[in-house]
Amino acid sequence: MRDIVKEIESKFSNHDDLFIEEELVGKTTIYFIGFNTLVDLTKSKLYVQQMAASSSSVKALFINLSDQVGVDIEQILKAILEGKLVIVSKGDAENAIVDPIAQNLNRSIEEPKNESPIQASINAFGDDITINVGLIRKRLSTERLCHCSYQVGELDKRRLSMLYIKGRAPNILIEKANQQLKQIKSDIETIDDLNKQFGQRILSPVSHLSPTELPIQAIHSLKKNRIVLFMDNYPFALVFPNLIWDMFSTENDRNFPFVLTFMLRLFRVIGAVATVVLPALYVALVSVNPGIFRTDLALFVAKSREGIPLSAFLETILMVVIVDLILEAINRLPKSVGPSITMVGGIILGQAMVEAKLVSNLLVIVITAVVIASSAVVGIQNSLYIRLLKYPILVLASFFGILGVWTGFILTVIYLASLTSDDIPYLTFNIKQEGDTK
Amino acid sequence: MTQRIQIVIVFILIQLSIGYLVYPDLIYVLTKTAHWELVMCQGFLQLILIWIYIKGLNYFPENDVIDIYLKMGRWVAIIFLIPFVINLIALVAFNIRLHTEVIISVFLPRTPYWSILILLYFISVYTSIKGLGTILRSSVFIFLIVIPLVVFNIFSSVINFDIHNVTPGWELPARFLLKNKFFYLLGFSSFLFLGFMASKTKLSFRQLFVAWVSVTLFFLSVVYIPLFIFGQEAVVTLTNPFLEAMDSVDISWFSFNRQTMFFGLSLVGLVIVANSVMLWMIGQIMRKIFKFRKVKSSYWIIAFSVISFVLAFLVPNQSLVEKCFLWSTGAQAYSMIIIPFTIFIYGFIEKRRVKA
Repeated sequence: MRDIVKEIESKFSNHDDLFIEEELVGKTTIYFIGFNTLVDLTKSKLYVQQMAASSSSVKALFINLSDQVGVDIEQILKAILEGKLVIVSKGDAENAIVDPIAQNLNRSIEEPKNESPIQASINAFGDDITINVGLIRKRLSTERLCHCSYQVGELDKRRLSMLYIKGRAPNILIEKANQQLKQIKSDIETIDDLNKQFGQRILSPVSHLSPTELPIQAIHSLKKNRIVLFMDNYPFALVFPNLIWDMFSTENDRNFPFVLTFMLRLFRVIGAVATVVLPALYVALVSVNPGIFRTDLALFVAKSREGIPLSAFLETILMVVIVDLILEAINRLPKSVGPSITMVGGIILGQAMVEAKLVSNLLVIVITAVVIASSAVVGIQNSLYIRLLKYPILVLASFFGILGVWTGFILTVIYLASLTSDDIPYLTFNIKQEGDTK
Repeated sequence: MTQRIQIVIVFILIQLSIGYLVYPDLIYVLTKTAHWELVMCQGFLQLILIWIYIKGLNYFPENDVIDIYLKMGRWVAIIFLIPFVINLIALVAFNIRLHTEVIISVFLPRTPYWSILILLYFISVYTSIKGLGTILRSSVFIFLIVIPLVVFNIFSSVINFDIHNVTPGWELPARFLLKNKFFYLLGFSSFLFLGFMASKTKLSFRQLFVAWVSVTLFFLSVVYIPLFIFGQEAVVTLTNPFLEAMDSVDISWFSFNRQTMFFGLSLVGLVIVANSVMLWMIGQIMRKIFKFRKVKSSYWIIAFSVISFVLAFLVPNQSLVEKCFLWSTGAQAYSMIIIPFTIFIYGFIEKRRVKA
């Protein structure tokens, strides 16, 4: 019965990487079917031959090789697409789906690329979901670590995994997240696609998920009663829900004595506040409320702006936009060109603009401080969103001065307070341990 | 996620917001000596009312004030709560307008007042639309930022104190109790919102007592700082005695010119919390009473805030604003007496009936 083989052949007629290899085992002919881009054929064949040598019949061989024997054509097609090796015997309905020796498409466990832990374990998550979950299992060997897996999507079934510690994460949260993940209909391509499943936040810069590359951080989040999600082929653990404290703390801080940990976190908070407020404060102090300083200080500020044609707001927004452009441009460029752009940008921003009397000395200092401060927070996504938050405050400051800075800051706080994911507010500092231990 | 500590914080913030501006004025008008007696009298009266209110509310677990009134009947709810809503609208309007005047005098002498009105209204309405959770959470953060400023203000003004300004410190009998304006003073103790937030969390009197003590201390300081600095005779002539008192402080080593700025900043934070709570109360009342209309509470809030904005916009000058503000707090005092008592009595009767 060459039916199945024929059918597969016609189904995949547009796939040149499909192989159908004939092979003789004992007296029966069998066919190996699979994609040579996903299956290492030579090694897999060798493996099957070795197994065949120790098996009495073809049927026994099939049973030895796999527990998916005699499945229907639909499942076979799916298995081929997933990179399995399908073995079909000639003139017989016998078939089996075998886990082959796969082509190596993943990198091995490497160092983190986006985070740089100091004095800490430097294993990072990789692309393969099983390896990622394994990294967690290895470090957290308890039977209370639960793992739910999902296959979602319309065109491409993407594998998702949800991990939580039973008895730690609140049951309501687990149930809701479970529901939301099960209902996914559309393809999950990016974090934002997944993010939308947890309730749309229109035009919100704050995600429901906080990505981390470090197993230690993911485990810490699990222990802090949260859920960790994994997407297949995505080298990050996604911690749900995302809380504001993620921006200021990493587990690795705690490798230092408490006082140093406190200092590090304090600096991050200062950095975040400074990023949001400093440019606006400059505009407010220079253009609207110069009178609140002592006279000598006010004179100094006024002097630094002597002969500058642009208004304070225009000058500041110009600089802020240029700096954000540079930060983005450095990302886009190949590593070899990056430093030159930084150098040119630095010269333009630091020297040329001041010498041309386009912006004031003081502003350059302020902007530099902001750039450095915005990078102090943990996680590039957080750094990006606090960089965005400074613009509304800047506009308010240009109208209302100090009052604008203050109301803008309060408005930002109120906005952040209004965010919730599955009824857990973004501004919570810890999630209550509410799960059943049974 | 409503927590008691958050409610207590909102309680403190609202008291501070209402008490900062007109409260000392009223005290100076009411008595010439022994101001602390007056403050304490008002405080104890407030404490008794809060106790009755909480006692009444605790008869009905899982219910807020509106639910309790609706149990008595829809018309009872309308009769008791609609005047309260109207009063709140006026209070929001005059409160924001009053603060706007102070903000203009502190920060932005050249800016037209309507632009600041719009700014304050926008933030208050936005916060109240986002709901109770947002108000409570943001008020914790505002508390953490504002209270240090308030404390700094109070302690920095010590350098100008003259102890002779407040003698004699004793007066008997307390004649002010009979004056009409003492009733206005009661209107400053805004605690009615407690009943609106308490549906899921049971309030504990002990925590509120701690809050009450700190608020009373604050009121005393608000009254006594201008007194210590200027003395009773001078203070009566000032429009904003506390503001003037802050303006008189000059610390030579401090890099900022005026302490008033910090005062202004703390005012803005407080007024936003107070008004968003009031607007939220309006939205809750209207939504629950007119349930059959299926109007979201956010539409009610927006509609009423527009009315209140027009009201605030139309008042021509500051002295009229202050008068209107006093009237609306006086009217508030009626609700403050009536609502706790009705709830308490109704709860008492209900309990009897259930037992029988």
